[in-house]
Amino acid sequence: MIEITEKEISLDEMIKRARSRDAGAMVTFLGTVRDDGIERMEVEAFREAAQAELEAIREEAMSRFHLIEAEVVHRTGSLAVGESILAIVCSAAHRDEAFSGCRYIIEELKKRAPLWKKELGENGGCWVGQT
Amino acid sequence: MVLAFASFREILGKEREMRLLESATVKDLLEELAAARPAFKEAAFDDTGALRDYVLLMVNRKRIDPTRDLSRPLQDGDELAIFPPLAGG
Repeated sequence: MIEITEKEISLDEMIKRARSRDAGAMVTFLGTVRDDGIERMEVEAFREAAQAELEAIREEAMSRFHLIEAEVVHRTGSLAVGESILAIVCSAAHRDEAFSGCRYIIEELKKRAPLWKKELGENGGCWVGQT
Repeated sequence: MVLAFASFREILGKEREMRLLESATVKDLLEELAAARPAFKEAAFDDTGALRDYVLLMVNRKRIDPTRDLSRPLQDGDELAIFPPLAGG
């Protein structure tokens, strides 16, 4: 399942959905708001395009790494330091596939999904990755 | 329809309908926006009038290559999205 949401991420729910009797490994990744001297982070999505891109990335990962299930949830809106921005859960028969699939999804998401982060601090805001 | 995200949304607003001449291109639309909004011109174009490297574009939710596809004609009902480098995750 792919979800782009303003609601808090429930990793437990994602793990429940990805569990399978055929799985011998489940790998989870959580991206969180790091305190780089900021107060909050705003996350913005081109929702329809990001959803489609994440669906494509998920399908690629499922097929390349023989995943049993892959769950991706990305937050949008205003997040505090320490909150989760993104969660990925991959289940597979063996750990190598689960780790590789999870890694593939996060790396491709960063390259391809139309999502943006703005760090907000005392001195205003700064879009991540923009000079 | 023009959609703008992140820093470009802050300048242009999230979405706007634009009426263009028949056979108008992506470049024509960007130049029209630049003429209407100096802050967009400053952010999106360099001193020589070339589109800055970090400006990313989609037409109908498919990425286009700004070095090659600015002369692409736009059709009635097309959606152009303008945004800076991606930073999800």
